[in-house]
Amino acid sequence: METNYLLPNKFKKLGWVLFGLGLIGGIFIYATIGLTDEFLKVKVLSVYDNQLFGDSSFFKIVENGIFDELVSVFIIVGGFLVGFTKEKIEDEFIYKLRKDSLVWALIVNYSILLVAILFVYDMTFLHILFFNMFTTLVFFVIRFSVLKYKYLSHEE
Amino acid sequence: MKNRLKVQRAIHELTQADLAEKIGVTRQSINAIEKGKYVPSTVLALKIAKLFNESVENIFTLEDKD
Repeated sequence: METNYLLPNKFKKLGWVLFGLGLIGGIFIYATIGLTDEFLKVKVLSVYDNQLFGDSSFFKIVENGIFDELVSVFIIVGGFLVGFTKEKIEDEFIYKLRKDSLVWALIVNYSILLVAILFVYDMTFLHILFFNMFTTLVFFVIRFSVLKYKYLSHEE
Repeated sequence: MKNRLKVQRAIHELTQADLAEKIGVTRQSINAIEKGKYVPSTVLALKIAKLFNESVENIFTLEDKD
C-alpha cells in the first residue's frame, strides 16, 4: 500500500518511548498541581501574552517552567510517531485499520467533549479541555493497537 | 462476499502466517479476510488466486446481500 505520510518503521520505538514518558509526565503534572511549574525554569520567547490585569505584549522574553511544555511535546510527537510510522509489514488492511481508528477516535473524542460541554462547568471543564488536547491522539493510538492485536490470528 | 480462503489454505497446507508471507501482507489481513471481516482489494484477490493457481471466482464469490 503506497502512502505518502508514513515515516519509516524505525521511528516507532522512539515514538512509544516519548509517548510513554509524556503520559507519565502528564499524570505527574496533574497529581502535583502547580508544583511542576517550578521545574526547569528557563527564559522563553512569548509571541503573544494577554495579561488578565495589565497590558498585552508581543515578542517578549519571559521566564517559564518548561516541564509542561516538554510533556505536551512528548505526548504529541510520540503519539504521531506511534500512529504514523509504517508497520513492519504495511498493507491495505493495516491502512484501513489506521484510518478506521482515526475516525473512531475523532467521533469518541468529540462525543465526550459534547457531553462535557453540556454537563461540566467551571474549573472542572477547564480540566476536561486540558485532557482534550491529547485525547484524540491517545484514543487513536489505543484503538489502532487494539485492532492490530484483535486481528492477529491465534491459530495453532 | 464469501471466500474459500481457508479451504484453499488447507489444501495447500499453509498456515495464515505462511500465506501472509508468500503474498507479502500481514497475518491480520488473511485472518480478517477469512473471517469475512474484510473484503480484499482486487489486486490482493488476484494475488491470492494466482498463488493458488485458481481463478478469482473460485475463491471469492458474491452473496445475495452484496
